[in-house]
Amino acid sequence: MTDGEPMRTADGGTARAADGGTARAANWDAVVVGGGHNGLVTAAYLGRAGLRTLVLERRERVGGAADTSELAKGARVPTLAHTVGRLRPSVARELDLRSYGLSLVAPEVRAFAPSPDGTAVTLWADVGRTADGLRAVSPADGAAYPEFDRLVRSLGRFLAELASETPPDIASPGLGDALAGLRLGRTFRGLGAHDARTITRVLPMAVADFVGEAFATDAVRAALAWRGVQYCSLGPWSAGSTAVLLMDSAGNDGGAAGQTVFARGGPGAVSRALEGAARSAGVSIRTGAEVGAVLSRDGRVTGVALASSGEEIRSPVVVSGLDPKRTLVGLVDPVALGPSLGWRASNIRQPGVVAKVNLVLRRLPQFPAAGSDAEVLLRGRIVVAPGIDAMERAFDAAKYGRVSEAPILEATIPSLVDPALVEGAKAGTHVMSVVVQYAPYWLRDGDWDDAAREALGDRVVGVLEGVAPGIGKLVTARQVLTPLDLEREHGLTGGHPLHAEPALDSFFLWRPLLGWARYRMPLDGLYLCGSGAHPGGGVTGGPGQNAAREILADQRRGRRRR
Amino acid sequence: MAQRYDAIVIGGGHNGLVSAAYLARAGLRTIVLERRHVLGGAAVTEELFPGFRFSVFSYVVSLLRPEIIRELDLPRHGLDILPLDGTFTPLRPGEGPSGGDYLWRVNDHGRTVRELRRWSTTDAEAYEEYGRLMVDMARFIKPILSIVPPDLTSRDPRPLLPLGGLLRSFQQLTERQQAVFVQLMTMSAADFLDQWFETDPLKATMSASGIIGTYLGVRSPGTAYVLLHHYMGEIDGAFRAWGIPKGGTGGISEAIGRAAQAQGAEIRLEAPVGRILTRGGRATGVALEGSGEEIEADVILSSVDARRTFLDLVEPGTLDPAFEEEVRRFKFRGSSGKVNLAVDRLPDFTCLPGEGEHLRGAISFSPSVDEMERAYDDAKYGHWSRRPYIDMIIPTLVDPSIAPPGKHVISCFVQYAPYKLAPELGSWDDNREAFGDAVVDRIAEFAPNIRDIILFRNVQTPLDIERTTGLTEGNIFQGELTLEQLFFNRPVPGHARFRTPIRDLWLSGSATHPGGGIMGANGRIAALEVLRSRGRRVA
Repeated sequence: MTDGEPMRTADGGTARAADGGTARAANWDAVVVGGGHNGLVTAAYLGRAGLRTLVLERRERVGGAADTSELAKGARVPTLAHTVGRLRPSVARELDLRSYGLSLVAPEVRAFAPSPDGTAVTLWADVGRTADGLRAVSPADGAAYPEFDRLVRSLGRFLAELASETPPDIASPGLGDALAGLRLGRTFRGLGAHDARTITRVLPMAVADFVGEAFATDAVRAALAWRGVQYCSLGPWSAGSTAVLLMDSAGNDGGAAGQTVFARGGPGAVSRALEGAARSAGVSIRTGAEVGAVLSRDGRVTGVALASSGEEIRSPVVVSGLDPKRTLVGLVDPVALGPSLGWRASNIRQPGVVAKVNLVLRRLPQFPAAGSDAEVLLRGRIVVAPGIDAMERAFDAAKYGRVSEAPILEATIPSLVDPALVEGAKAGTHVMSVVVQYAPYWLRDGDWDDAAREALGDRVVGVLEGVAPGIGKLVTARQVLTPLDLEREHGLTGGHPLHAEPALDSFFLWRPLLGWARYRMPLDGLYLCGSGAHPGGGVTGGPGQNAAREILADQRRGRRRR
Repeated sequence: MAQRYDAIVIGGGHNGLVSAAYLARAGLRTIVLERRHVLGGAAVTEELFPGFRFSVFSYVVSLLRPEIIRELDLPRHGLDILPLDGTFTPLRPGEGPSGGDYLWRVNDHGRTVRELRRWSTTDAEAYEEYGRLMVDMARFIKPILSIVPPDLTSRDPRPLLPLGGLLRSFQQLTERQQAVFVQLMTMSAADFLDQWFETDPLKATMSASGIIGTYLGVRSPGTAYVLLHHYMGEIDGAFRAWGIPKGGTGGISEAIGRAAQAQGAEIRLEAPVGRILTRGGRATGVALEGSGEEIEADVILSSVDARRTFLDLVEPGTLDPAFEEEVRRFKFRGSSGKVNLAVDRLPDFTCLPGEGEHLRGAISFSPSVDEMERAYDDAKYGHWSRRPYIDMIIPTLVDPSIAPPGKHVISCFVQYAPYKLAPELGSWDDNREAFGDAVVDRIAEFAPNIRDIILFRNVQTPLDIERTTGLTEGNIFQGELTLEQLFFNRPVPGHARFRTPIRDLWLSGSATHPGGGIMGANGRIAALEVLRSRGRRVA
């Protein structure tokens, strides 16, 4: 057993970390469970504040769902998440991620939605350009787009404020909560009567209605509505999907088109940068270290125990980047949690319906709908969502535990904007990353065995053939990650990429649980910093940044008390 | 020279009549104008078939506010509500613990729990806890039904005060109760019930109450809170607010009408309002359709739905186009139909043959959550449910007066029947009988003799409901009860306070908070607001 004196090396090298760092007495001020991007963000902020912080990661490298992996020789793919456009600007700025190698690329095209009939809807960063394009499809829709974009941005700005706030304490509101309330109240009024009334009306609304109020063309509605159901067990007709769309547009310049930003080197580059920022802030990182239990005495955390060795690491503060159910039901002593809270935590909904297919392609596939502009149009998100009803039908299958016959896809070809991803591969090679819905974690007949996995892969390639004929023959390597794989590989309970379904029943004051939305968990010293906390999932760093703020606030209070 | 009143109430539905009664009670000279030859709107009894009297549309009373029954002294005016006992969920041969089983819940809690034990001991335990929790929830929700929703964007803080009261009573709930309340307001009925129960027919039958009258499925978020309505009825039980009115649903309307007349209100039938007259941005009276007869009044309360009021009755060009746009946006989407049957014998259920207590309550055709959801899937794509959910009542078993001796009336509330059918199906006029057949076939799955006992069948499609009662798109609640159309968004955000952009024109129907159902709350609050605005001492 080596002594766990926190290492101050900034040069990375998880291998060196892996053999270091166990602790006898509380050598650590804070232990972060899970080295996903939110865990790293929290750790970096704690380290910068002078807390001796240790990150424990089960896998061999940190990053969680923000990961890049080599699928074939010289061809690297975004393992899960494929765009990083929602990364909170203040996180990137304050942690100076650029100087740790983060470099972002934003193509001028945001989304390209081809239909099998050869037509397509294209959403550009430039609102005017999008509107012009839509006019060709429907003059009315073209005319409606700028106002719709304005509305989405206006409501998104309000939600960005909401996202940056810690949900107020309603049980015993303090001065801070009152101020937060006033701030939000002011922003709410700042919306103006029309938008303020609109937001109370549209947040709980079905996204199909939200886009339906503005646009007449089914293809346009679907292309815009997709972000309202992405990663969720919701269909476009499900209430609350509008809130999902608007949260996706909060705090970035996505607007109606949504954000499309790639990290050079793939999403893993975000994790590398966060790791660098954390290490240089004095944070220690141990990989291959799965936490099996959060230790507590008299309702106060005392540290964690590793799953394999049972080794105990003492710390007065334990921060979990894992999903809330895994944290509360899996790691915390049920007696300490109590029956009522145990019941509530075990009912946190995590209905995963997302699968991931990554492809290595011999050359760039042909999309007839893209015509001669393929090189430009295919740089954004390629959305295969033929219509609102088609999306809803795809969702219907999942309700009954079946994989969609015609799943909805969001594909990207990151090698177009970042050739370095394939520099080691044969010339002309491209990689394609495909988010697949709906493929439910829970299958009514059979389970996610290899046969089911490959069948899903074939089905996805089949759907792609519809918009890119011949793509099947170009595939030289294929990786299929089922919801079960997401759970096994990445610890996402239920295979849910967002840790907890971001439906209306898991929002702001009640995410993950009413009364426990302020990052502090039921044990003194236990915090939640992952996507299961407000403001929710996606590569944003939002929960991690908010959680760090609350942890440090408690530290200051503690110091004052002493 | 037009006649002049203090107040005109447009529409003689239960809410219109309730407002009229309260206005007259405060001394206003009030007239109710009803388009049809019968009073009651969707709460009417009609003899559709010689000797058989039907509650044509609305068929049970669940939520009629006790304070209205009390304040208007409705029992004295003939209101007699006969309690319905229990909900019987039949299953098919081979289904359930004993195979070919049923689930039968009654008001006798002990008996219900014993019944549930046959299915699942854990569910039987959970059911008690669940019941207690829901009663607490209903107690907390109740005050909300009589709040005038504030406009969050107004700078006048006073209307916000009721919210402060709500927050305080919310803080007094236990953390678990608070959490459950939030779940009720945001979850789907099916997801909510999954937390307690495993018995499929139990979850299906309970979740059914969450989708009544909505264009939503049991798995759609926002359907959970309606589960409370049943328990509202329960806590009002002392006032017998849960059951079927003697003589059919029309009995309620007639009682309220008599109460209004007793207070001096006038009621005119076959007096369809064609136009709301305005001068200088304020309402001055109405003109009747056809005759063109004009009637003047200081205030006009419209108890018909918002679209009819603002887009049909108000002179075009009177309202701000932006407001008209919001009204057009308000969703109706009628989703339910009604099949009224006259039979010469009782239906015979395979799972529990013969006549008996189980036929005297509600009979719910909801064997599984998936079947409920599939019925909705049909509707989502513009088809009426091929195997619909049916809530069946046989009123003649508690009130024989409405049918010839030995014969029976069967009322079937059916979902889903979407107002807008897929183009390939054509109009509802082409689908009415096919839909009726689907309902009979569905019943026959559980009670095969149904086909042999029908003397007469009357099918009410959403289109028929719209034509007869004037409810836009046949929505029985005057507008969908989805989250975005509740409270301060009902019917139009910023105009949820019963007032309208036109001075002296008020809304008092289900289009306003707290929504539909034979509740009367809308009509009562609207009348009280009118009186308050005129500086009258109220109630």
